[in-house]
Amino acid sequence: MRIQVRRTGGFAGIERRAEVDTSGRPDAAEWQALAERVLASGRGTPPAGVPDGFRYEITVDGRTVYAADPRLTEEQRQLVSRVLKEGA
Amino acid sequence: MTTNGGSEPVFCTIVPPHVLDRLAQHEDDAIAGPARRTLEQDALHRTRRRITAVRGAAAPSGTPSDKPDRTIYDAEGAETLPGKKVHAENDQPAQDATVNRAHAGLGATFELYLKAYNRHSIDDAGLPLIATVHYGEKYDNAFWNGEQMVFGDGDGELFLDFTIPVDVIGHELTHGVTQYTANLEYYGQSGALNESVSDVFGTLIKQYALGQTADQADWLIGAGLLGPNVHGEALRSMKAPGTAYDDPNLGKDPQPATMEHYVRTSRDNGGVHINSGIPNHAFYLVATALGGNAWERAGQIWYNVLTGGDLKPEAQFADFATLTVKAARERYGAGDEIQAVQKAWAQVGVPAT
Repeated sequence: MRIQVRRTGGFAGIERRAEVDTSGRPDAAEWQALAERVLASGRGTPPAGVPDGFRYEITVDGRTVYAADPRLTEEQRQLVSRVLKEGA
Repeated sequence: MTTNGGSEPVFCTIVPPHVLDRLAQHEDDAIAGPARRTLEQDALHRTRRRITAVRGAAAPSGTPSDKPDRTIYDAEGAETLPGKKVHAENDQPAQDATVNRAHAGLGATFELYLKAYNRHSIDDAGLPLIATVHYGEKYDNAFWNGEQMVFGDGDGELFLDFTIPVDVIGHELTHGVTQYTANLEYYGQSGALNESVSDVFGTLIKQYALGQTADQADWLIGAGLLGPNVHGEALRSMKAPGTAYDDPNLGKDPQPATMEHYVRTSRDNGGVHINSGIPNHAFYLVATALGGNAWERAGQIWYNVLTGGDLKPEAQFADFATLTVKAARERYGAGDEIQAVQKAWAQVGVPAT
């Protein structure tokens, strides 16, 4: 499973991207479960968000959902921060 | 390519308030957001009408206070708002420097708006100022969520604590002022104007606090925010857009200074943090041409446009430029001010008819 996160906006207006390929990872099952929960509860169009708030595109094997600060679900928050921290 | 926040619906005031109330609670932000903004605008218009009505009568009791009412909360690394209350208006300085900087920055913002423009807080009706610090873990951002300020600590390498630059605090709170006034749509040119107005008053708040004239100011946005190893002095430069940073991790400052280099993109809400360089530079040119304190004449003209009621939410650069010419004429007549304004917009390539 390929999990990609693109974060745009923010005060700085600087984009960040990262991705994690779960295949071969010892914690692949955990990643997949989290990603599936995010897909299931995610929305297919970008929310309005707030000025300077981060906006996120989360793509899992080609399916994209959108989210924006400060109203991420707990699963979205976890996935986004893990991908941006651990992904390449 | 998909973009964010672009064509969300706008609700006319013909929608009954109770319907808007229900829509504003909707889980879908695309529906809740416009409804909420409409309600906020409606409340503002009602306030304006009330103020107009009150002004006629001799009843000063409704005048908002000349003192800010600030409360600081600590999210303690979570992303829950508002968090734990840690500081009230009349408390002694806290142990935590971040709390004290947030308190001071809210105060500096309140002070400029009051002293320079006789505006009483964000809504001109004495809105209490609320901020949450230590939001999230290594969170690289600060924002106004429509009701309060939110500050991250930064990751410590690329970005430091977002309470450090007072212009960042002023920038974010000015998003609140814009929300209560022109309510510029956060997309494309109107979005870049929204961003630019926040940079303009953000830097004016810093200049006022430091007592700097236009030629003494650095005209940088976010100086002191970048980590020590980052190649850059700030996030944006109003004096020389496009030159604030050039770093292997952050990339290069993408801002244009003139329409010739306007960036057409669907990213960043249609380049709101990119093309804001153009109106930013126009303001810098006006302020430095006039000299002295930038918050006085240049700032007054921009403030009058933002709050005057003629600036539409979907305004483009040329609409804004035209209104600055009108505001300069109305306030200062035929003189240096109107000439400086016309010349500045011509220099950045925006028609101001």
